[in-house]
Amino acid sequence: MGYGKYLAYRLSNALLVLLIVTFVVSILFTKVADEQLRSSIQEQINLRVRTDPNLQKLAKSDPQALEEWKEREYKRLLHAYGLDKPYWQRVIERTKDTMLLRFGDVRSAIFGETNVRKIIAIAIPRTVLLFTTSSLIVMFLGLALGIKAAQKAGGLFDRALSVFAMVTTSIPMWWFGMILILIFSFKLNLLPSGGMTSIPPKTGFAYYIDVLKHMILPLTTIVFVSFGGWAWVTRNLMIGTLQEDFIMAARAKGVPENRVIYGHALRATAPPIITMTIFTLLGSLNGAILTESVFNWPGMGRLYWVAIQQMELNLIMGLTYISVALYLIGVLLADLAYGYLDPRVKVGVSQQV
Amino acid sequence: MRWVDVKDSLANFWFEFRRQKGGLLGIALLALLVFVAIAAPFITSPDIPQKWKLPWEDTPKAVPPVWYNWFAGKQLAPHKEYTFNDIKLLVNGEDLGGGMRYYKLEFTYDFKYDVPPTNIIIKGINVKLQDINTKANIIITVHRPDGKSIEVYSGDLIEGMVIQLAYDDISRNNIISWASQFESQKDLASIVPSTIDVMKVLFAKAQPGILVNPQPLKGTYKFDIEIYTFNPGDKVDFNHMKVIFTGRTYGYMGTDTMGRDIWAGLVWGTRISLIIGISVAVLSVFIGVLYGVASAYFGGWTDEMMMRFQEFMASIPTLPILILLASSFHGHVTLGIIVLLLVIFGWVGIARVSRSMALQIKEQTYVEAAIALGAGSGRIVFKHIMPQLLPYAFAQIALSVPGAILTEAGLSYLGLGDPTAVTWGQMLHDAQAASATINGYWWWVIPPGLAIALVSLTFVLLGTALDRVLNPRLRRL
Repeated sequence: MGYGKYLAYRLSNALLVLLIVTFVVSILFTKVADEQLRSSIQEQINLRVRTDPNLQKLAKSDPQALEEWKEREYKRLLHAYGLDKPYWQRVIERTKDTMLLRFGDVRSAIFGETNVRKIIAIAIPRTVLLFTTSSLIVMFLGLALGIKAAQKAGGLFDRALSVFAMVTTSIPMWWFGMILILIFSFKLNLLPSGGMTSIPPKTGFAYYIDVLKHMILPLTTIVFVSFGGWAWVTRNLMIGTLQEDFIMAARAKGVPENRVIYGHALRATAPPIITMTIFTLLGSLNGAILTESVFNWPGMGRLYWVAIQQMELNLIMGLTYISVALYLIGVLLADLAYGYLDPRVKVGVSQQV
Repeated sequence: MRWVDVKDSLANFWFEFRRQKGGLLGIALLALLVFVAIAAPFITSPDIPQKWKLPWEDTPKAVPPVWYNWFAGKQLAPHKEYTFNDIKLLVNGEDLGGGMRYYKLEFTYDFKYDVPPTNIIIKGINVKLQDINTKANIIITVHRPDGKSIEVYSGDLIEGMVIQLAYDDISRNNIISWASQFESQKDLASIVPSTIDVMKVLFAKAQPGILVNPQPLKGTYKFDIEIYTFNPGDKVDFNHMKVIFTGRTYGYMGTDTMGRDIWAGLVWGTRISLIIGISVAVLSVFIGVLYGVASAYFGGWTDEMMMRFQEFMASIPTLPILILLASSFHGHVTLGIIVLLLVIFGWVGIARVSRSMALQIKEQTYVEAAIALGAGSGRIVFKHIMPQLLPYAFAQIALSVPGAILTEAGLSYLGLGDPTAVTWGQMLHDAQAASATINGYWWWVIPPGLAIALVSLTFVLLGTALDRVLNPRLRRL
């Protein structure tokens, strides 16, 4: 199987998965949306009955006619909202709309917007700002420290790093955030406890300083809890590579140690590290729901949480779709990178198919 | 396999494992956790899970642990509960004539702190009145170490009565008017009676400033409780009587804003954490290994379909979907459902690795020989392939536990956990809901998180040690 065919196969696979996930979530939500709409229709009718003087007159003179009017109005609204169509037809329509990024509106404005696509467009850059920045720091620190540890495996630094990695991966990230808030915001009163800007937001240059100040605590939290694990994985991969024959050969040839490490070994360990990088970066777009909740950071993660609490179904659909799509793009990119860097992968796939 | 072989391989395993310091630490921690989980009813009290969501009336609200005194400049009075055994019954229903009876009780309180209790609660005096219109009378007098006495309370005694000296109008007025005689005119003009902490006044030196800036008077305080009943049929029973000096500190770990003992929550939380972690890990690894092996063994279209499904599951972002599913249960997520949800998303990665391992094992000559000899699928899978995967599975079980524990804690923290269970995530959720970080209730925020981290660390240590010993192929330095 050639590279183009492999690409087409992976792409169609990803699209199929995206379609199925969207379809399943649509099945789940069309039912809920049903109940939501029906009760809101009932509310609208009741409101009309209570406020419209004509209808109140009717209620006194001819209660039977009022009931009939209610019935007619209910049917009319049901039709207007498209609820009289069969369930499956609506599921398919919802799936189609979602696939085409037509997410619709929310009931009450979030970030001053009601259109779901606009709301998500506001949230994504905020999450990118926080999580992509921290992911880059984590990756840089993790790679640098992991390579250092692998060079002197079993040494004091290596062992200390392993212990640090084990301890930090056991810590719940959001809890660590709470502790930092407790110490730095409320005991020492040094940094803001949450949000992205002060209220009201500052203007001009002060705005950027303000955002930076708000970023310090969440950034520290994410970096501190994550980089140990990254370093540890890098270290393990590097040690595995450093034991291979070609490294021995390079050393025997008298290649400088730095070239051996960064030229030979790091290149050989690149594929899994690139996969990790892609997943970390795309995972960062999704935003950690918990961390954003703790720090009140108005990005994708918090948006998801708000959407679920307020049962904004259109927003939930949109966010789910975007996050699944991003994840699939990540898988696709990782696979393509692998296929490019390591020709054996393609052979493996053609054997399976 | 014969018994000798089992013993032999176990001995070999132990010989290797003994050299893993982290693994030994993991075993020690696991033993400790299991001990705490099993002994929870004996370490605290057995009714904690039932009691957890009910109001805790007798305990102080949001106070730090007792050992806080070691670090604080001021000694804070700890929580103290007196039962009838600590109270002397001096006069038990002496007949005063005309149907009147007299009771007198006495107890002492050794006050050696800088800050007195927040409240003194007297409850559980069971009085049965013959005629509801003729009430009994109760008088409480405090004899202070400086020889002065205050009649802090005198009033009717009715059935089921709880006297709270710090909040009751009668006792507040009595204490404030008693203290006023020592106070300077200037201070008297400036005080606002409703804002005074009368407990601080009651346990303060009788000198000017007693109301505005009370200085603690240390020593032994004697409390007299006198009761008069006016009908021959009235009965008073003191057996369930309790006097509670509500502390400024409480227990090993303090209390939350609802007065719940955080230490009890921590101890009981161990159970849920271990149960969820271990059951999710065992189930998802078992399903994952079985799935992977089946996929590799059957091959062809079955393999293709199974792998497509695996990819489908793997491409679902777990936490958002978990939150979505949990929230669709409308707050009635039981532990069983949480375990189920975590397993549904937990087996995926393991299935992939097991499949690739099984693909290699399948090609080995002894498996081919077994197929040639006409062994059935079940026999080959369970007798020849699965045992080869066991070491991997064991290490993987230990390594999957932290993820499950962290996810459950996260869900509980968001308020989607089992509302009836005492879990650490739930405690942190309550802490966040009560703005514990803003109010500086560190004893409510730090211990549950440390506990979660400790359990996770235990299994990370065990998992990496097992991985090194059982999977020599993957062994690294």
